[in-house]
Amino acid sequence: MGEPSPTETRQLADDARARVRFEEEALELADQVYQVARRLVGSREEAEDLMQDTYARAFRSWRSFQPGTNLRAWLLRILTNLNIDRARARQRRPQTEPLEEGDYFLYNRLAGSGGDQQPEEEERVLARLSQDGVVAALSELPHDFRDVVVLVDIGGFAYAEAAQILDIPVGTVMSRLHRGRRILKRQLAEEASDDVS
Amino acid sequence: MTFRELHDDPCDNCEEMLQPYLDRELTTMERAEAEAHLDTCEYCRRRYRFEVELRRYVRQAVVEPMAPELKERLSSLRTPL
Repeated sequence: MGEPSPTETRQLADDARARVRFEEEALELADQVYQVARRLVGSREEAEDLMQDTYARAFRSWRSFQPGTNLRAWLLRILTNLNIDRARARQRRPQTEPLEEGDYFLYNRLAGSGGDQQPEEEERVLARLSQDGVVAALSELPHDFRDVVVLVDIGGFAYAEAAQILDIPVGTVMSRLHRGRRILKRQLAEEASDDVS
Repeated sequence: MTFRELHDDPCDNCEEMLQPYLDRELTTMERAEAEAHLDTCEYCRRRYRFEVELRRYVRQAVVEPMAPELKERLSSLRTPL
């Protein structure tokens, strides 16, 4: 093999520049990706491991990213795939079917029996929840529901984007989101009543 | 099948429409149906307002800044020049 031709040298330089730009853009999104990662898994340590595995893989396979498409969604697709592999490896025991209630359930529980006779500001009703309670309730959600709730409600992704990230149909995103939010509300109601007792 | 065909009670109807309404996933007709009921029903209106606040609260409650060390570790994974 001889010296690279000027064309080859230029291609190598372009390639290196594109890679550097990709890595910089990916790192700029790390905070946002972390917010989702942190809620997909139970602990900070797990989230940090997942982030490192995700970025290592992203940097290795940067060429498969299509410039101009959503990089945050691309990174989260890697992350959720890795997370599914990990969950399988842990072979969690099968979870019991979680209970869900209607969408008004949480408000009705928090507003108490006084309900609508004594008008209450929504903020005051909401004040009966604690931040820790929300974090705990979210972490209690079964994986399938949590993935969708976290991507849409925390990550701000549209249904179609969440479907692409998780590689499931949009209809499945909608039904899991709908049920996941209801299960979450039931858990929030339980957290709130635990605090009272 | 519309929501109205599924439920006789207009408040049950409205409850079913809460999530798709806030996600802007209802059809124009369903949306009009929900809004017509909300205009006259304080019971449902209050629960819709609560849901909006709840979503905001959940989003804010779970924010946990990334450790600066993690950012450094991620940077160290970059391909050396």
